[in-house]
Amino acid sequence: MDGVTPIIEITDLAKQYPLPDNKNETFWAVDGVSLSINRGEIFGILGPNGAGKTTTLEMLEGLNDIDRGEARIAGIDVRDDPFKVKQVIGVQLQANEYFDNLSLRELLVLFGRLYDRDVSPMDLLESVQLTDKANAKPESLSGGQKQRFSIACAMVNEPKVLFLDEPTTGLDPQAKRNLWDLVRELNDSGMTIVLTTHNMEEAESLCGRIAIMDHGKVVAEGTPQDLIMQHAPEPPAAPLHGNLEDVFLALTGHALRD
Amino acid sequence: MPILTRLQLHLSFVFLKIFLRDRQSIFFSLFFPIIFMTVFGFINDGEQQAINIGVVDQTSSTVAREFVDQLIQSPVFTVTLGEEAMLTRALEAGDQAMVLVLPEALGEDDLATSTTNLRLLVDAAEVNQLAFVLPALDQTLIEIERQFRDIEPMFQLAIEDVQARSQSYLDFLLPGLMAFTLMQLSIAGSGFNIVEYRRKGILKRLFVTPIKPMDFITAIVLARTGIVLIQLTVLIAFAVLVLGVSIVGNFAAFYFIVLLGTLVFLNLGFCLGSVAKTQQAVMAVGNIVIFPQIFLSGVFYPIESMPDLIQPIAYMLPLSYVSTAMRDIANEGATLMAITPSLIGIGLWFLIGFYLATRLFVWKEVAN
Repeated sequence: MDGVTPIIEITDLAKQYPLPDNKNETFWAVDGVSLSINRGEIFGILGPNGAGKTTTLEMLEGLNDIDRGEARIAGIDVRDDPFKVKQVIGVQLQANEYFDNLSLRELLVLFGRLYDRDVSPMDLLESVQLTDKANAKPESLSGGQKQRFSIACAMVNEPKVLFLDEPTTGLDPQAKRNLWDLVRELNDSGMTIVLTTHNMEEAESLCGRIAIMDHGKVVAEGTPQDLIMQHAPEPPAAPLHGNLEDVFLALTGHALRD
Repeated sequence: MPILTRLQLHLSFVFLKIFLRDRQSIFFSLFFPIIFMTVFGFINDGEQQAINIGVVDQTSSTVAREFVDQLIQSPVFTVTLGEEAMLTRALEAGDQAMVLVLPEALGEDDLATSTTNLRLLVDAAEVNQLAFVLPALDQTLIEIERQFRDIEPMFQLAIEDVQARSQSYLDFLLPGLMAFTLMQLSIAGSGFNIVEYRRKGILKRLFVTPIKPMDFITAIVLARTGIVLIQLTVLIAFAVLVLGVSIVGNFAAFYFIVLLGTLVFLNLGFCLGSVAKTQQAVMAVGNIVIFPQIFLSGVFYPIESMPDLIQPIAYMLPLSYVSTAMRDIANEGATLMAITPSLIGIGLWFLIGFYLATRLFVWKEVAN
């Protein structure tokens, strides 16, 4: 492929936490993750709960200290220059509540000011189809609208990389499809998008490449097609084909996680 | 470089706007003090119809006798005759509104040719009453004067201000309630709000933007100071205009203490918000800080009236220093110089709070 350059380079990234039931012992929530994410791609990080997806994102976003390894975004070292990194990334967190008593329009202006920018709230709202909600309060929005609004907030600084943490969790199928369209649109405009998800369908239809994480490590990486070819169970006899969910379960097992 | 960045100003304005749109908070922060003031205002009413005036007659002359009789007949005054020392004490205790001293010279023969000085001792907190009393007093004096001669004024009134304790309980209560309200608003503004923002994930969301912790703290401090000033001004206006409370001291000095007090309690609030991780925890810890101070800091009754054992501790509470300073200014017209001990106390609490807050308020940990 031509012009493929990495925008995020992660080498041996690791994060240590105390065990929940024994504070004296520690475990590696993220344990030696190395990834290279290309400019302009939609990259998915999959994994069961507790696999270390969110922790990995939080280290890239500067929310969590890096205990080992290093990460660079757009050439900037995340550990050395967190404030510079924050200028070039947009972040959507799992929790998306905002200050009370402010309208969407006012919140977007505020977010713009955090980057020392004068944004046009109406343009941003138009790009996420929320123009008619400009004067509404976030708490009055539906689940899908809330997610679209938090993407609008993440775009106030025209980021090079957009991080989405489980953007479609809890959305109905219509809202989910609608959000996928939005993500594709943003990607078409040149934005690199890194998202975590539990939804295999989402990973398969949206992501150019994915990494599957378990127990703090990357257990597989590649395009959805590659992964299916490599890891899906062999068809028993006839033309039965596995899907990405089979891959996921084959790699991470069937045991329930919390 | 400007003192405040555009972001700090914008964020302060946003915090102010959030508060002004929160009708419930506004209502509750004003409701309690207004109810208290109104209740005590009504209890006090009725009491101050006739003006209690103490008269010290050092002459026993007929002129003085006639003058006192006129005063007694006047419906404006309730006259108590007595010695100066005794009546001055009564004035300080608030039992007398003013004390008039008739000098010995009043009985002498050269009365017709010289002007005699009458001394009027008043309570500085009652200046508004004074404006109303003086004409009545003057009128009485002039009538007496006319009986003796028509040429020269015989009496001249020299007003002496003794700093007597304010007469009504409402005067006492108002500065304490102000101090209490500013403490509540400040601790809620930093402590409770931070915990709420963290619970909602707002701090985390802010943390992934390039905002510096100093921007956030500056904005909270500015906005809260503005909110406290607005709320207290509303309360003072209500007390003065509706309830007729008098504030003797300098307003600039009064508001200076309000500002200092706000900073002290914002600091303590930042400590609370950093230590307590949940809404329940911050409420519990907050009550430990707020509740004892309601009773021990001389908000509702003077610290001097507390048991001797508690007094030394009570005097050292931050709210005690703030409420005492505000009361000294409002009721006695004290200057900032005169309340140096309170200022030192407030300063020490500011330093303690600032030191702890900078130690405890770690942006990354508070945000997560």
